[in-house]
Amino acid sequence: MRIAAFLPELLRHLFKKPATVDYPFQKLEVPQGFRGTPYLNPEMCIVCKSCERDCPAEAIEISDVNPAEKRFKMVIHNDRCIHCAQCVDSCPTSPKAMQMDSLFEIATDDRHNLKKEWVYVRAVLKPKAPAAAPAAPAAPAAEPKA
Amino acid sequence: MSFEIPIGPQHPALKEPISLRMTVDGEVITGVDIRLGYNHRGVEKLAEQKTWIQNIYLTERICGICSHSHATCYVQAVEKLMELLPPRRGLYIRYLVSELERVHSHLLWLGVAGHEAGFDSFFMYTWRDREIVMDLLEMISGNRVHYAINTIGGVRRDIDEGQKAKILEGVATLRKRSEYYFAIGANEPSFVARIAGVGMLSKEQAVSLCAVGPVARASGVARDVRKEDPYAVYDELDFELCTADSCDVLGRVVVRVKELLESYKMIEQMVRNLPDGDIAVKAPRKAKPGEAVSRYEAPRGENIHYVKSSGADKPERLKVRAPTLGNYPATIEMLKKGFIADIPLIFAAIDPCICCAERAVTLVDAANGAESIVRMSELRRRALARAKNAPVKGNAVWPF
Repeated sequence: MRIAAFLPELLRHLFKKPATVDYPFQKLEVPQGFRGTPYLNPEMCIVCKSCERDCPAEAIEISDVNPAEKRFKMVIHNDRCIHCAQCVDSCPTSPKAMQMDSLFEIATDDRHNLKKEWVYVRAVLKPKAPAAAPAAPAAPAAEPKA
Repeated sequence: MSFEIPIGPQHPALKEPISLRMTVDGEVITGVDIRLGYNHRGVEKLAEQKTWIQNIYLTERICGICSHSHATCYVQAVEKLMELLPPRRGLYIRYLVSELERVHSHLLWLGVAGHEAGFDSFFMYTWRDREIVMDLLEMISGNRVHYAINTIGGVRRDIDEGQKAKILEGVATLRKRSEYYFAIGANEPSFVARIAGVGMLSKEQAVSLCAVGPVARASGVARDVRKEDPYAVYDELDFELCTADSCDVLGRVVVRVKELLESYKMIEQMVRNLPDGDIAVKAPRKAKPGEAVSRYEAPRGENIHYVKSSGADKPERLKVRAPTLGNYPATIEMLKKGFIADIPLIFAAIDPCICCAERAVTLVDAANGAESIVRMSELRRRALARAKNAPVKGNAVWPF
């Protein structure tokens, strides 16, 4: 037992740089693979609606615009998004139509500004990619792998 | 002459809404009544309307600090239900994140304990060091708080060699710091004097009141799901169960610091022995009818999830028993015969997570205090009657 055992540590830190950064002027880099804001790469979307079905926050909305032209509209409600990136995991195309960017300063004063929408024609991919698409709702039970 | 002092639901000493009603005789507390229900969010009901996959992210949001604990506990139960066996590598990554989460939770708690004991510089330093583990978690999973690393049948992200090296480096720094804090805790007489002998809970009381986690272990009860009922990888890891016999807040600090050191050991073992292979198996969309219970040692104690399936793509019932709820009866005993000034310290020492524990609501009649249990059908009838009596506003507009 000794009095003020913590004092040497405190004094030592008087001469060290602060552990924090001056945030608005100096920014830390987010790591690779940071889950920022989801966005759509419309050239790749086959409108399987996996992302809409799996989104836990119901933030993705896909609707018909013109069924004859196979034109669809996707709205991502970023005000509801919980940034879990399940949409990216569920997306069956390769490269993925759903992507996450690394933006984290997305605050705004109106929640409607956070809404993003894309109107696009459904992509028709080469036979290889749709065959791998697990869009069928009744997927077979996975065999346990050791 | 005795008075009743209400603390909470909103009080500067409490971080979350809960109501503690103390009957005091002078400075000494003679009786305690805990009232819950200020933070009820209906998570369990919401879970019945979401699919198995969506519920991972919902259960993760039961709590911010032990987010991975709830998600893992839920995923364990669902995997039991679907009879999935996640690959070894997936399990190792999942429980690596578990242990990193325990480190961040215990460092956070150490800071809070320092703060409540009036040792604010301790609080600042532990929280600075906690950033190291938060950055590691962000690097592994892509987010600081809600890691979302679990999926049914494994994990969602792999870790590479560079990340492994960074984890080992971070853990080495943290171990040095934790050992230093352990020495400070043992050597700083003012800190020890503040927390020793406060919030006594004898071993017999801890057993009879079913205390869980570090609270039970600080009273000398060797109770840890990781040792007693080893799930997944814990039977392969070499670690010790940390207990203390002092039965007070000091014991709870000691147990948590010791657990930190054990967690570093486990993290290093898992990173070094990470098996090769896949990280996940594909999960079916639907689960067979049945029910499953899963136990998980969260940083605060034993977490239990019960899942019932009716064969659909959604659970029929999800029941969550968070560790804080298991510690409330013991808290009442700890607070008794204590002083008013010790309330924040004793209450903080169970590492309370109110939003974890708020799972059910009792209806109390405001006029006479009578409690009643109401069936769902009766609640529905009341809701319909209420809607009928209050006409829907036809011209309601969104205020923004």
